[in-house]
Amino acid sequence: MEFYNKPGDYDAINYVPHTESHGTKELWKTFWLLLGITIFDFVIYFVMPASGFRNFIFIFFGLVKAYFIVGAFMHLKHEKISLALVILVPMLFVLGLISGLLYEGSALEVMKSM
Amino acid sequence: MANHTSTQAAFENQPTWAGGRSPFNVSYGKLMMWIFLLSDAFTFSTLLVQYGTQRFSNVVTPITTKWPDPASIFNHFPFMHGLHLPLLFVSMMTFILILSSVTMVLAVEAGHRNSKAEVARYMIYTILGGVAFLSCQAWEWYTFIHEGARLDGNTFGITKQGYDHLHSVGFGDHFEWAEGDRTFGPVPFAALFFIVTGFHGFHVFSGVVINVVVYIMTVRGVFERRGHYEMIEKAGLYWHFVDLVWVFVFTFFYLI
Repeated sequence: MEFYNKPGDYDAINYVPHTESHGTKELWKTFWLLLGITIFDFVIYFVMPASGFRNFIFIFFGLVKAYFIVGAFMHLKHEKISLALVILVPMLFVLGLISGLLYEGSALEVMKSM
Repeated sequence: MANHTSTQAAFENQPTWAGGRSPFNVSYGKLMMWIFLLSDAFTFSTLLVQYGTQRFSNVVTPITTKWPDPASIFNHFPFMHGLHLPLLFVSMMTFILILSSVTMVLAVEAGHRNSKAEVARYMIYTILGGVAFLSCQAWEWYTFIHEGARLDGNTFGITKQGYDHLHSVGFGDHFEWAEGDRTFGPVPFAALFFIVTGFHGFHVFSGVVINVVVYIMTVRGVFERRGHYEMIEKAGLYWHFVDLVWVFVFTFFYLI
């Protein structure tokens, strides 16, 4: 087929935008942050008694870690905003579903004991 | 790639959604990787939804047949037999995975500078990190099964006596289950652990295979001839996703 196949033709399938290196500074900063949060989680686990608030702390810092992994490591912070929204908006709805069903789980326990 | 430029420029002057170019300014392959990861995130989310519902309808209490406190069960560390070291081993696994994520992203960065030797070196580190993580997980599973965990049952229902016993030992003290500490608990406990960590471990395994393939391609100069190291970025996206899922597995299965 004679359709955008010869070398030198513009070819939407093989098109790769040129990417510049942003250096390693941000990456190492992210690494120390992730390590710090993991150690923080470890410490909190032992110094705080189990409670809903402690669970909230763990989930919150899990989301913070996710933000840094997706933003810096997966480079989404530097992509076009439209691409970031396509990926993140459905996940927000899924998070809503998960938290909703955690709540329903507690209701289920009450029902089971009735 | 240089001889693309003139024809490419004609497309790039068009409005974003007029066609003929990537409206997101990423390559086809990278966009498809993102879409795959989104779908994979949905898959893991269904497992977490199931876990969350089961977990919170069997809340931890000192009463039998409730959900056990996970850190009291995963309290082993290799070569420190019989010591109560909750959360330590799994935190180390988290550290290994974060570290291999960093070496992966350093390989991507080296790829942007077209530095073949550096890409190859960081890919080796990343592969080693992945293999180390998988070994840790194998050990974790072995220990858990050895203690009596099965897919179709749960012998980790902690009795009142077991609860008091667990809370009387400090970090690093000697601990062994006593008679009457455990009874049958909620069945999904072990099953969900095996399914979710197994599913994640399988992703790590696939990631290691992908990384090995990409490493061989790097060393053989495939990307050097192609003029760019975008394949490293795509493998990297997958690898970071695996790390991302582990963040949530760690949070939900070990911390909460």
